[in-house]
Amino acid sequence: MDENHEADCGCAEYNELSRRQFLGRAAGASAVAFFPDWLPKIVMSKSFAANRDIMVSVFMRGGADGLTLVPPFGDPAYYTSRSTIAIPRPDATVATKGINLDNFFMLPQAMSGMVPAFTATDLLIVHGSGQTNNSRSHFDAQNYMEVGKPVDPSLSTGWLGRHVASIPPLKPTGLLRGVGIANGLQKTLVGAPKTLPIADPTNYTVGGAAATQPQRLAFLQADYATAQEPMHADALDAINTVNLLRSLNLATYRPANNAVYPNTSFGRALRSVAALIKQDVGIEVAQVDIGGWDTHSAQGPLTGGMFNTMTDFSNSIAAFYADVITTDYPVTLIAMSEFGRNVRENASGGTDHGRASAMFALGKGIKGGRVLTKNWVGLAKENLEQGQDLKVTVDYRDILSEIVQNRLANPNLDFVFPTWKPTMLGVTR
Amino acid sequence: MPMTSEHRAVSEQERPELEPDDRDPDAKEEGDHRSRRSFLFFGALAAATVLPKQARAQGRVRQRAVLEPQPDQQFATARVTENIAAFREWDASGVTRLVRRVTNGIIPGEITKATDLGWNGYLNYQLNYSRINDDACEQVISSMWPLMSQTSDTLFAANAEQVRNQLRESTLFRASFSKRQLYQRMVEFWTDHFNMDVDKVQYLIVADQRDVIRKHALGNFQDLLKASAHSAAMMAYLDQNTSRNTAPNQNYAREIMELHTLGVDGGYTQTDVAELSRVLTGWTIQGRGQFTFNPNIHDSGAKTVLGMSIPGTSGSDGILEGEKAIDMLVNHPSTAKFIAKKMLKWLLTPEPTDTQINAVAAAYRATKGDIKTMIRVILNESWLNAAPMKLKRPFHFLASALRSLAPTVASITTVNNQLAALGHVQFAWDTPDGYPDKVEYWAGNIVPKWNTASSIANLNSSTTVLVDTSAYRAAGTTAAAIDMIDQNFFGGEMPLVTRNGLLNYAGTTALNESRTRELLALAMSSNAFQWY
Repeated sequence: MDENHEADCGCAEYNELSRRQFLGRAAGASAVAFFPDWLPKIVMSKSFAANRDIMVSVFMRGGADGLTLVPPFGDPAYYTSRSTIAIPRPDATVATKGINLDNFFMLPQAMSGMVPAFTATDLLIVHGSGQTNNSRSHFDAQNYMEVGKPVDPSLSTGWLGRHVASIPPLKPTGLLRGVGIANGLQKTLVGAPKTLPIADPTNYTVGGAAATQPQRLAFLQADYATAQEPMHADALDAINTVNLLRSLNLATYRPANNAVYPNTSFGRALRSVAALIKQDVGIEVAQVDIGGWDTHSAQGPLTGGMFNTMTDFSNSIAAFYADVITTDYPVTLIAMSEFGRNVRENASGGTDHGRASAMFALGKGIKGGRVLTKNWVGLAKENLEQGQDLKVTVDYRDILSEIVQNRLANPNLDFVFPTWKPTMLGVTR
Repeated sequence: MPMTSEHRAVSEQERPELEPDDRDPDAKEEGDHRSRRSFLFFGALAAATVLPKQARAQGRVRQRAVLEPQPDQQFATARVTENIAAFREWDASGVTRLVRRVTNGIIPGEITKATDLGWNGYLNYQLNYSRINDDACEQVISSMWPLMSQTSDTLFAANAEQVRNQLRESTLFRASFSKRQLYQRMVEFWTDHFNMDVDKVQYLIVADQRDVIRKHALGNFQDLLKASAHSAAMMAYLDQNTSRNTAPNQNYAREIMELHTLGVDGGYTQTDVAELSRVLTGWTIQGRGQFTFNPNIHDSGAKTVLGMSIPGTSGSDGILEGEKAIDMLVNHPSTAKFIAKKMLKWLLTPEPTDTQINAVAAAYRATKGDIKTMIRVILNESWLNAAPMKLKRPFHFLASALRSLAPTVASITTVNNQLAALGHVQFAWDTPDGYPDKVEYWAGNIVPKWNTASSIANLNSSTTVLVDTSAYRAAGTTAAAIDMIDQNFFGGEMPLVTRNGLLNYAGTTALNESRTRELLALAMSSNAFQWY
């Protein structure tokens, strides 16, 4: 590829934190007494609480094909390897042609929802990204990525869970610090205090007669008071959250800027997250999943399965961008997948499990408007891993570490990503 | 774990003194000096110099944990453990733990049965399921959900929504009301093991459930795996039906090794995946959902899978390559261990020991995967009575609620619909690993269970589900009513905290209808009812 293409940016400004206030409402939380005295090597953030972003983490489950999400139309091997499922070049004359980003990469039409944020330099795309461990198992690869470290049986918590556990609460009185929009807690969040899976925050209730609900909740409070962890904490947090969400009435939430979230599980999930963030209850992290990326057959990037999944993905994020991020709520959103897919399509019109994919970072504090690569090697067969896959040249932890440190104001990177020595690539402002 | 410069040993002054209580009692005997040195060598990463008490307490149980760094323990992370000790009220010498573990909900009739037969007698009774007369249940199935006995040739033309609803409702009904309870537990286990998403495979799943999962759930693993590999639904779910010799699809080839047999650490490589995908070319579907082998799309070149040479075969004999490869997978030692460990986790404990895994794997190898033999090894009295509790997944929770409520069921639709909010709709997990079976995943999902408990306790319709509360109200006193709840919902082992809570909630006035239903809802919402 072109030598002048945007390469790694060793920018020095990464230490510079934006000082936007969380609507001026978040008081500086005291961290005194939160950490035991004996704990070594704890660096208290200089700017905790008032000046840190909320993290919305999106996992694209199934191994999203980065070469369709953000195709490198400037690489001839893209077209020779993808004889039936390539996105036409931006200078093609068909309606399905790609949207030029930087004369090398493009977005498919299904991802057009990402364009406003990209143009406003709030959306960063990192290509050739992924993990060093080369597992092609969905479940191992997802687990490693969510844990934040591969193959360590002693580490059972998730990276975002450890982030929450290693900073003082955004609001000292907050009852719910993290939420997974899911029926069960995603690995990413495991270990986070005051964090629950809530599939639908607009309808979180214990039902029954309203008149007896306080009494029934009191029964549950007493019954679970003697439960063992994690049930004890989860149940008591759940009771608090039932009371909290009942008082908020999220069902009537109206997004700003006339943003329209798709009526899909992903769209509804981001809408609920937006509502929770704006209610200022102390939410610090949210984990949202979008599946449907395991495109072994009939991939359909121009019309069909992946077209629909990408449309859902990009339109939901576009709504969240218009609703939350352009209105200056301090939020960073990231989206990533466990691996990408083979460069060469298979006989089923699909692609099998590969290595590098693309990841996305969105926020006012993200140095966006570009496709960031590092040592990009391209798709020529001789440069592929095992002759079949785009090599991983950016470790996802480099991107996340910089965001955790600079946007989430958490200096404890060696706790969030144990043993990883990040290379800061200048992804934050 | 590799020692990196990040994880250098920290200097003495950085390390606080250990308090006496924090020391490993085993290490004390060897002297503090020795203890400190080994601690430095193995565990002294910069981030986790001193493990908090909790980590060290765990370390005493699992010896490696003391020496291994536990970086997730140094901050106040939410406690993460799958090992939850059973309630002290649960008898550790009788049969109640066995009844809880092999059923979808402990009820008085099963306790009586198990008490009569004894531990091994009751286990054999449940294992020899075909001898249990289940006509009452099956008659309801055939009259309410007639599509379940149809073949794919008929089902393809049926209303797709009806097909999936009938499958889901009949599955919940069987799980709740079949007398063959251990069999239903294993049907659920293998359904997850050979998971598929009905959205993708549509009506084909009915034949898979009937002719693969239910046929072999307590049979032989080799037969089960072979049946699955010849299931049109599995071919469709993992894209095997679209694979071609020109560029084979690797989906099924990968998952049959990773998820169905060897396990992800079972010793195969990406090359083995690619080679097996070549072997399996031609395994596909014809007509309305019949498995077939199509030699025209089979790669007839030579292959090597897991070190085994497979000479290329053309023509209809090309299928034998795949049969040979699957036999090899069945006989692979990794498969014996993988299936043993997974069954142990389902039936016994979230963290089986090597001894347990080896014992069950040996039973697998000795019998080519006889499932009953393996279960006999797993569910022995001493192992199970010492095992931690397991958390009911939402489907299990719902089935156990139905068993304990013992309602009159005219239609189970409204109850089955609860599974959507509970997050456990059957045949809807879209990835091939199946629904998780982990405390870590499900523990936070408690509010939907409370909500469901409240909903179903209030069902009082002769056209759907009728929960009759008259017996509780006729008990005489609230204490007597709560004793009945104890028998029907807790196997007579209701924890004191729950009993006191219910007594307090019931108050002193006579129980009316609505208060009785609230008591039932609270009983099902209580902590003790979530475990088995």
